[in-house]
Amino acid sequence: MRTLIQILATAALALPLLQGSANAADKIRVVTTITDLKSLTEAVGGDLVEVDALVRPSQNPHDLEVRPSLMVKVRRADLFVMNGLDLDQWAEVVVQGGNNSKVIAGGPGRVDASRGIPVLEVPTTRVDRSMGDVHPFGNPHYTLDPGMAPIVTTNILEGLARVAPQHQATFERNRQAFLARLEAAMSGWTRALEPVKGAKLVVYHNNLIYLVTRFGLVQVGTVEDRPGIPPSPGHLTRLIRQMKEEGVKAILVEPWSDQTLTARIAQESGAKMVVLNAKLGATSGPDAYIASTNANITALAQALR
Amino acid sequence: MRAFLAVCLLAASISTAAPAGAQDVESLKKELEQMRKQFESMKDQYQKSIDAMAERVKRLESRPEPVATPVPVAPAPPTPAPVVTQAPPSSGGQPSLLELARPRQPFSLYERRGPGQLLFDIGVVGDFVGNITQNNVEQGKGGTFAGRENRFFPREIELNLFGQIDPYARGEVRIEAAEEFEGGERKLELHLAEAHLTLLTLPFGTQARLGKLRNRFGLLNQLHREALPQTDQPDVLTQFFGEEGLTESGGELTWVAPLPFYLEALVGLFNGDNETAFGRGSLRNPLVTGRLRTFFELGDFGALQLGASVASGITEEDHRNTVLGADLKYKYRPDGWAHPLFTAAGEFLYQLRTVNVFGEDLDGDGIADTPDETRTRNRLGWYVYGEVQPWRRWAFGTRYDWTEYALARGHQWAVEPYVTFWPSEFLRFRLGYKHTEGNTRGCCTNVADVGSARIKDEFLFQATFFLGAHPTHPF
Repeated sequence: MRTLIQILATAALALPLLQGSANAADKIRVVTTITDLKSLTEAVGGDLVEVDALVRPSQNPHDLEVRPSLMVKVRRADLFVMNGLDLDQWAEVVVQGGNNSKVIAGGPGRVDASRGIPVLEVPTTRVDRSMGDVHPFGNPHYTLDPGMAPIVTTNILEGLARVAPQHQATFERNRQAFLARLEAAMSGWTRALEPVKGAKLVVYHNNLIYLVTRFGLVQVGTVEDRPGIPPSPGHLTRLIRQMKEEGVKAILVEPWSDQTLTARIAQESGAKMVVLNAKLGATSGPDAYIASTNANITALAQALR
Repeated sequence: MRAFLAVCLLAASISTAAPAGAQDVESLKKELEQMRKQFESMKDQYQKSIDAMAERVKRLESRPEPVATPVPVAPAPPTPAPVVTQAPPSSGGQPSLLELARPRQPFSLYERRGPGQLLFDIGVVGDFVGNITQNNVEQGKGGTFAGRENRFFPREIELNLFGQIDPYARGEVRIEAAEEFEGGERKLELHLAEAHLTLLTLPFGTQARLGKLRNRFGLLNQLHREALPQTDQPDVLTQFFGEEGLTESGGELTWVAPLPFYLEALVGLFNGDNETAFGRGSLRNPLVTGRLRTFFELGDFGALQLGASVASGITEEDHRNTVLGADLKYKYRPDGWAHPLFTAAGEFLYQLRTVNVFGEDLDGDGIADTPDETRTRNRLGWYVYGEVQPWRRWAFGTRYDWTEYALARGHQWAVEPYVTFWPSEFLRFRLGYKHTEGNTRGCCTNVADVGSARIKDEFLFQATFFLGAHPTHPF
C-alpha cells in the first residue's frame, strides 16, 4: 500500500512537469543566428514561440565556430531566422549539419531578416580581400538600429505565419504592440540625442553606421584600418591625430574587440570609450531589444555630452 | 496727301528692309535647325538615360534583396506593414511526389539572387609544402612526402565549386592539381578530388551524399590536406589508408537524432577503390562504412566531441579488411574569443586484416618448402596532438604518432612540434620539425628497402592561401 501511495505521489508530482514539457512541445521552435533577432522574434511570437540564438551576446557573429551543439538546435527548429548580408555565412553549415529540411535555404521555415532593409555601404566598385573582410552586399549590422525593427519584424512575422498560419492574427497583434512601445521609446531616444546631434565619434569595427546615421551623429573613422584586420601603428597614429583635430568625443567598441587598445586610443585622443551592447537582447523577453537599445543610447548620450 | 506720304514712306522702308529681313529669316532658320538638332540629341540622350534607369529599376525590382541607398530611411511607422504570407512548398516542409515531378524553373535561384551573380560559389586553395631531410631518407624515398624529399612543391591546388543545385540538393566539385610521385617519377597531375551532391530534403532527419567524396571516417580523414592541423596527416592514416587517405565513390546516409544532445549516425556504401586498404573496387563486394558522433558542451567554454568509425571492405587478395576507429576532440575557447585557446585531439585505429602468405623456398631448390597460407595482420595505430593559440594569429602545437605498419612487421613513432602563423584569415604559414623512428627499416612508405632511413629528421614547411569563397569547417 505504501508503495502504491509513493507511485501515485510521484505521478502527481510529475504531472505538472509533463504538462510543462507538453506545453513547450506545442510552442513554435525558432532558432535565430544572433540575439537581436531572438529578441525581435520573441516580441512578435510572444508566448507561442520558444526562441534560441546560436551566437551568444559576447561572441563575434562574423566568425562563429560551427559546433554540433548548434546543429542540435537547428535539428528541432520550425523556423530559422538569419541576419543575412553575409554576416552569418556559417549558418549554412549549421543548417546542413542539422538535417532539418524545413529550414534549408528556400524552405518554408527560413527567414532572411535583411529582406527589404535599405542597406548602407553597398560597394559601388569592385571589392576584393585586399580591403579586408569586406561585405560585398553592404553593411550587415542593421539590427543595431531600432528604426529597422519594423522591417525586420515584418520578415519574422511572415515566417511565423508560414509555419503557424492559425496564429497569424496573434503575431500581428504582438508586432503592433511591440512597435507601439518601440515608437514611444524612440521618441525618448531622439530627445536624448538631439542635443549632441552632429557629434563626431569613432568606432572599433564598422558596425554602428545604421545607428549613428539614424540619430544624426557623424562617424569619422574606425580603429580597424580594414574590416577584420587588426590596425597598423601608422593607422592608429593618424586616427589619434584626426580625433584630436576634429574633437571626437567618443570611441565605441564591442565586447569582443580589443578594449585595451581602444582604451589607449581614448586616453591619447581625449575621447571617452563606450563599450556598447553590440548584440542586443542578451536577456529574454518581448522588450529585451528595447532595453538593450536604451542602454546603448543612454551610454552614447552621456559620452557625447 | 498725308496718306500718300505715309504710303511712300512705308514702301521705301519695306524696300530697304526687305534684304535685311530675308537675312534674319535665314539666320533664324539656321538657329531653329540647330536647336532642332540639339533637341533631337538631348532627346536621344534622355531616352537612353530613361531606358537605362528603367532597366535598372527592373533589375532591382526583380531582386528580393534590399535596394541600396546611401542613408537609412526615416524610422518606419509602427503600423504593421502588410503581411504577405507565402504558401509553404508543402505541408511539413517535405516536397510531395507531385512537387518533385513538377518541372522546375532552372533559373529561379539566379533570379532570387539577382543579376550579375553566379549560381554557385567559386574558391581556389593553394597549398604548398616542403621538407628538408637527410640524404639517406631522400635516396630511400622514405620521407613524409615520399619521392619529394628536399623539395618545395604544390601539394594541392584546388578549384572548389559549390552551391545549391535546386531547392532540394547541394553540389560540390573539387578539381585538384598536385605534384605526385608515382612509378618512380614526379609529375604534376590534374584529377577530380571530389564531386558529390547532398540531398537535403529527405524525411526523418536524414541526408544523403552521393558521388566521390572524402569519407567521414574519424577526425581528420574527411579534411582536405590544407585544412589539417599539421603540415602532414598522422602516420597511422598514411599507413592504413595511404597518402591520399580514404576517398571513395559511393553514397553516405546520415541521421541526426532528435535528442537534446547531438548524436549523428552514418552508414555508407562505396566501391572500395582505396588500394592501400581495400582495392576490390566493386559494389558486389562493397566497402561499408559507419560512424557515430556525439558532442557535449562542457560548461560555457569547453566542448568535447566523441566518435567511433568503421570501414570494412575486401582487399585485392579477396580477403576482408576491417578498420575500426575511435576519436575524441576537446576545445577550450574563452568567452568572446574568435579562436580556441587550447585544442586537444586524438584518434585510435585498429586494423583486422587477412593476407596471403606464400610458401618460402628455404633450401634454394626452387620449390616452396612451406605451404601457402593466410595470416592475420591485426595492427594498431594512434596519434594525439595538442595546440595552444594564445593570439589570433599564432598557434603552437605538437603531435605524437605511434603506428604499426599495415602489412610489414614493426612499428614507428614520431613527434612533430609546429608553429602556425595567419597574417589574415585567408593566408597561413606553418613551420614544423618531425622526428621519426622505426624499429625496422621497412618503415613509412611500405617500401621494403629504404636504406638506413630508420631514423628520420625533417623540417616541414607549408604556405597556404585561399582565394574567393571557402566553406566554414565544422568543429
